[in-house]
Amino acid sequence: MRLFLSVVAALALAASAAQAQTIRILMETVPDTRYIQELLPQFEEETGINVEIEAISYIDMHSKLVPQLIAPQGSYDLIVVDFYWVGEFTKAGWLMPLDDLAERDGVDVDVYVPKLMDLVGRVDGVLYMLPFYNYSMALIYRQDLIDDADEQAAFQEAYGMELRVPQTWDEYWKQVEFFTRDNDGDGNRDFYGTVIQGQRGDCISMQWANYLYSQGGLYHDENWNPLLDSPEAIRAMEYYREAVENYSPAGSEAYCFDEAFNVMAQGRAYSFVTFNILYAGFEDPESSEVAGKVGITPNPGGGLNGGWGWAIPNSSPNKEAAWTFMKWAESAAVAKERAMLGGAPTQAQIFTDPDVMAARPYYPILGEILAGTKDFPVFTYTTEFVEQVGLELNLAATGEKPVAEAMAAAQEKLRALLVKDGKIEE
Amino acid sequence: MSVAAADGLTLAGRDRRFGLLLTAPGLLSLLLVITFPLFFTLYTSIHDYTLLTPNYDTFVGLENYQEALDEEYLPGSLWVTTKFVLASIVIEFIIGFAVALSLHATRRFGSIYYLILLAPLLINPVVVGLLWRMLLHSELGIVNYAIGLVGISPVSWLGDADVAFWTVVLTDIWHQVSFMAILLVAGLAALPREPYEAARMDGASTISCFIHITLPLMRPVIAVAILLRMIFAIKTFDIIFIMTKGGPGTATDLISYYIYRAAFFGLDIGRASAMAAGLLVIILALTAYLYRYMNSLK
Repeated sequence: MRLFLSVVAALALAASAAQAQTIRILMETVPDTRYIQELLPQFEEETGINVEIEAISYIDMHSKLVPQLIAPQGSYDLIVVDFYWVGEFTKAGWLMPLDDLAERDGVDVDVYVPKLMDLVGRVDGVLYMLPFYNYSMALIYRQDLIDDADEQAAFQEAYGMELRVPQTWDEYWKQVEFFTRDNDGDGNRDFYGTVIQGQRGDCISMQWANYLYSQGGLYHDENWNPLLDSPEAIRAMEYYREAVENYSPAGSEAYCFDEAFNVMAQGRAYSFVTFNILYAGFEDPESSEVAGKVGITPNPGGGLNGGWGWAIPNSSPNKEAAWTFMKWAESAAVAKERAMLGGAPTQAQIFTDPDVMAARPYYPILGEILAGTKDFPVFTYTTEFVEQVGLELNLAATGEKPVAEAMAAAQEKLRALLVKDGKIEE
Repeated sequence: MSVAAADGLTLAGRDRRFGLLLTAPGLLSLLLVITFPLFFTLYTSIHDYTLLTPNYDTFVGLENYQEALDEEYLPGSLWVTTKFVLASIVIEFIIGFAVALSLHATRRFGSIYYLILLAPLLINPVVVGLLWRMLLHSELGIVNYAIGLVGISPVSWLGDADVAFWTVVLTDIWHQVSFMAILLVAGLAALPREPYEAARMDGASTISCFIHITLPLMRPVIAVAILLRMIFAIKTFDIIFIMTKGGPGTATDLISYYIYRAAFFGLDIGRASAMAAGLLVIILALTAYLYRYMNSLK
């Protein structure tokens, strides 16, 4: 009996100890989450803290997070925050400032690429997040086609210019036109110059941003005055519409990045303006028919900056353990190991680390891509902005609304949201 | 003459009282579970409750309702929802009834047919959406490949506004039609045999049996089946969320997804509650109408 009691007591102790040492993290089902999961045993061994990662798809994340963040005590100790939500989450006061902890433990935040620190690190001078990974957008293209001597000759003849990795938008667009083909001659094009991810909402909003930057357009000026009805923005939308009509698969106005990815991965397209983190998938023979044939380069004129940050919600039941984990995940060693697995770095030195470059020779290009990116408008209503503008863009892309009319509507939507947020006067 | 007991109640009255006693706990908890969220929604709808300021400090009266009514894309969403509900119910009813009649007449392998029929209904709607999104991929989907084999040019199932509407209607039908069929089969099984025998004696054909006996006798069951499916159809959310996000343009922007966006993207729970309350009134009115219609058949 005494033995039984002591066993029960020991079990109870062990259970409560384990309970105190378990942290729960909500993450997205993306490669970088998988890499963290692969590296987890190291952390659990070092600290004895148990980590439960709940990985779900992006579309479910926001609606799953918000109720937990509002609650006085939520169920997540640590979360990852998409740059979209930064304005909303900090304005609502859901995230815990990290300055004191970083100072106490001597965590150096200057190792991060400043662009990412601005996007998913500091807000108005307060440190709320440590940048976890970046998904800045880039141009992924078929290097083998550019290197093909016949294609080079044909391109030279048709356009009077050299076929090379595109440096300007004009050059890129000629290539898009050039590579769009009807190979089997049945009257329907079956090889595409580019792939559109035009689904209403998030998918089109993200991809179109690159078109906007390619034309030198911006969402707003430095005083937050919206610029979506500018000639640059209208031209960007006209290019986008042209791509939907002539150079991208029919139906791609309903694709999100996964469907578009598959078209390119099956060897049916020349190029795809998308998230740099998809590049590893194109290079993986298991998910791609074109492994070894694909290159990545900055979107001509600049791509969209994007990233996720680690943050501790104020509703976190175990902030100290969450911070311990965050420090571990963002330590130089782990950040490097994650990059070697294929993860998207946020710390400047990783892009050019010799070991990383040996395993992933294209990482310096990723650094270059990131350096040339521009930021999406981040304010309290970014999530709603993405939805509202994503609808107008999609209406224009499908031809249901004339481009100028859709852009005028987008301009008004952005203006109304900025007024609501107090960024500009009515 | 009724038998009056000591407490002055008739036997039937005592039965009723006993019945009430037995059902009271269930009814009470049902009342709580249903009415609490309902009143909570109504209460929220008259306050400026957003996710950024989650409190009831600001009473705004009917402002949320007014704002919702002023929205540019709300009428379109209501119209799309109406079309969706009508199209899916009418087609489901026709297919469902046909299936029900054949199942009712089946003598062998009935359970195998049921299993096949029920399979889609058992699949999670999110999975249904993902499944069809893959099958209908305009470039790489198997459906376009299959129709290509017989010489039909590929269809932009989700990219073309007119086609996309019917694509989600058909996906919903694929998923839900067996629900209608099962209800109708149950109704058919409960029909009395005598009218048919009498009609046969009088030389009635199968078709006139169907029109003059089956349909009239089935009317209450049909009304229930349509009522239930109508309520489910108005609330359709998952397949839209997964397959189209309401697009292309506004072609499949059903009201549930519209309200969801107001709540979780717009962060405006007050306005979303106002819209939800409005939707509830519409559903209640339709239900009341159908209920009265059912009663008038008795």
